[in-house]
Amino acid sequence: MKHFNLLISARSLRRAFVVASSLSLISVTSQAQTLAIINATVYTVAKQGVLPEAAVLVEDGKIIAVYSKDQMPEKIIADEIIDAKGGILTPGFIASNNLLGLVEVGAVSRTRDGSDKKADITFNASLAFNPKSSLIPYARKGGITSSIVMPHGGEGVFTGQSFVVNLSADFNSVVVSQHAVIANFGAKSKGSRAINLQTFANELEDATKALSKSKKAKAKNKDKEKDKAKSPKRAQQVINSLLNGKKTLLAHVDRATDILVLLTLKEQYKLDLVLVGASDAVLVADEIAKAKVAVMTSALANLPNSFDSLHNSLNNIAQLQAAGIKVIISNSGESHNINQLRFDAGIAAANGLAKTDALASVTANAADVFKLNAGRISIGKNADLVLWSADPFEISTKVNAIWINGKALTTQSRQDDLRNRYTSKSELPRAYIK
Amino acid sequence: MSLSSKCTQLKRVQFNPKSLSPRSVLTVLSVSFFTLTLTACLPNEKQDAKVSINKNPYPSTYQAMPSQTTLFTNATILTGTGQRINDADILIAKGKVQQVGKNLVAPEAIVIDAKGKWITPGIIDVHSHLGVYPNPQVESHSDGNEMTSPNTSEVWAEHSVWPQDPAFDTARAGGVTSLQILPGSANLFGGRGVTLRNVPSTTMQGMKFLDAPYGLKMACGENPKRVYGSRKVLPSTRMGNVAGYRSAWLAATEYKREWDKYERDYDAGKNVVAPKRDLELDTLMGVLNDEILIHNHCYKAEEMAVMVDLGKEFNYHSGTFHHGIEAYKIADLLAENGNCVAMWPDWWGFKMEAYDMIEENVAIVDAVKNSCAVVHSDSSTTIQRLNQEAAKVMFRANESGFSLKEQDAIKWITSNAAKSLGIDEQVGSLEIGKNADVVLWNGNPFSVYAVAEQVYVDGAKVFDKYDEKYQAKSDFLLGQASNNNANKHLTHSVNEK
Repeated sequence: MKHFNLLISARSLRRAFVVASSLSLISVTSQAQTLAIINATVYTVAKQGVLPEAAVLVEDGKIIAVYSKDQMPEKIIADEIIDAKGGILTPGFIASNNLLGLVEVGAVSRTRDGSDKKADITFNASLAFNPKSSLIPYARKGGITSSIVMPHGGEGVFTGQSFVVNLSADFNSVVVSQHAVIANFGAKSKGSRAINLQTFANELEDATKALSKSKKAKAKNKDKEKDKAKSPKRAQQVINSLLNGKKTLLAHVDRATDILVLLTLKEQYKLDLVLVGASDAVLVADEIAKAKVAVMTSALANLPNSFDSLHNSLNNIAQLQAAGIKVIISNSGESHNINQLRFDAGIAAANGLAKTDALASVTANAADVFKLNAGRISIGKNADLVLWSADPFEISTKVNAIWINGKALTTQSRQDDLRNRYTSKSELPRAYIK
Repeated sequence: MSLSSKCTQLKRVQFNPKSLSPRSVLTVLSVSFFTLTLTACLPNEKQDAKVSINKNPYPSTYQAMPSQTTLFTNATILTGTGQRINDADILIAKGKVQQVGKNLVAPEAIVIDAKGKWITPGIIDVHSHLGVYPNPQVESHSDGNEMTSPNTSEVWAEHSVWPQDPAFDTARAGGVTSLQILPGSANLFGGRGVTLRNVPSTTMQGMKFLDAPYGLKMACGENPKRVYGSRKVLPSTRMGNVAGYRSAWLAATEYKREWDKYERDYDAGKNVVAPKRDLELDTLMGVLNDEILIHNHCYKAEEMAVMVDLGKEFNYHSGTFHHGIEAYKIADLLAENGNCVAMWPDWWGFKMEAYDMIEENVAIVDAVKNSCAVVHSDSSTTIQRLNQEAAKVMFRANESGFSLKEQDAIKWITSNAAKSLGIDEQVGSLEIGKNADVVLWNGNPFSVYAVAEQVYVDGAKVFDKYDEKYQAKSDFLLGQASNNNANKHLTHSVNEK
């Protein structure tokens, strides 16, 4: 028996959730492969906008239908049916610019895998990703279903490559390894900021020349097996993948002058560029918008923490959005508390960003920029979904249910076990409470 | 042997006529009179000027900003004493809270219609490094941690405060009206902390909270043993930490004994030599004399329990534990001993001692009778939204069986914080006669969308979100940054909401 199909009209389900869910238990012999979430207020972050009393159908981890109230079929068939009771359903939130799975305890060096002196542009930190990290279930409390992990690498311009994970805690949770190239620009404690920009520009120029030379060589020696142009070294291949648009460049940069240099290089070499941090982006917002470059930044940065970031302000994100820039809100640098991404989005909303844009900035925008099949509730997308008790950004709200690829996951974490232990009564020492 | 103890011997000789003839007494006295002219102990001898320690050499010059009698009407008021009053009015005048209640009338007052808005006491942060670790974070201004010796009780954070730190202004916009600036946590004894009023000033003294007691920063755990262990000096272990505290308190006890004796002898009319001043021991003696309050960076349950006993061993109170990540494990002990605990709602994992965070920590500490739970920031970012930090605790705790309300949670960042700093007679609640530190919020302060619209210190408006006149700007930002200015791309000003 592959499916136990529950044929029942959506209308009666709204009244009979308990029956529906207990019936669905009959299908335990086979893995539930279809899921219906009914009677939800669905924030699609897609063309359909917000759909009250809507239903979402999931099969084999993908969204296969999104029904508005008007389009609701007479019968909904699914292995499991969840009555959202009017609750808000959003795409799972996408965290970014963190070391999730690469650090367990910041000050314990043997739990840190996000950087290495030897790391260069080829640094593939996804090999070190630990899906069993205690940070992951805790992050799910904030409705986070996936993350763009960005290692800190070594000391050079390039700190390695980002990778994408889901927060299922499964051993196969790395979705894309070696995903985008990360580079550092801007103020340096020793030496000049010019060196990093210059090194990067030179690498691009040299690689372009080498490619064209190799192309010519190939054309010239088409038939001669032994004269095949020798394949470029690994680091060179990564630069080439920036030049042919296969990889995105994630550039940590703040000052406007640095941003402008990168925009010029982007134009010259047709790079797929994302600005990270980008404190001064508001000063050159028109140029960034014109270049169709996205910005990944914090919603809380409002202090002039360096001479590169004198223009930080709580309404910067609203300004960038108004200029037509796609903004990804990240709780930058944070790994243990990325569950707070929703509050950051709320604070951006409290400072001039429309709530719909704030929601996109933690879901669809990252998906678009990094070409992830997530971040929206629409047909074909991964069923990374979160059912909230109320407004997802509000502090009083909590996650009622969370699915990654259609699979329901718990938000229980080690923290809950500790709390339960120390709020239980027992005559024995607490170590006996498990 | 110090001169004063010689004097003690003489005294014994003098009053033991059985063992010495009167003549020999006279001989001894006359010898000492010639050799120790300044220290002879004859009761009738002329005394030198009394040596006393100036306990306030950098006094506050704070003056309240100009204020007007102001009446807020129809607000939801959280008094900071555990009360919530709906549709209520509050009258502030002459720097003080004059009245809180319904249908107040004050013909001479500026009336602010606060319908739909909330009013709380000014927010107090017990743990801040504003001014000593300011923005921009340049080496030249990194003045918060004197990492040159495990005991630097002689340093005072106030001597590092850069009043132009722009983070004072952003904290004020978040409703923070008083804050304690502490030295860092590298040392067993980091030095004195100072409590400031969050008003713009060109000098530290101009911000200094009048009559607030000094704090002494102590640190448990990983930081001191890491910093000094790597230099191969004590402490390199937690037992080394405790040995370091005990040695220091022993020395301080001795020092206090000398000063007490000097006071006693002088007051008895003797001409005695004052003990030699020691800045480090001055501070520790201030703790032993109940003049300086302990503020102890201490994460772990077992270490806090040791620090409580350490205080008992040397006869001082162990004060407030800061960053008490594991306070929930010993909430009863801490309440019983009268310790305040200042906590984050949810920071964790950056160190091993911060691994056992739970989101209900503050609530569990708070639930015990006679407790003093405080939410602190230790951050120039979260100090701007301590209301939301408290909110996180309240809502997460309520999800696991607590039934905390806004009027309870506000105490963690107002009255309990004031108690921790020893300024609860003046601030921390909206009781009649208290200093008029008031925050007017656009709505429920425990919302993610909450913003402070107006902030008052001693009855004077120090911030207004909708009036640039009341938005102070640091010298540092003047002329080079358009911070917080509406951009051409925003079709409507955020301020018009």
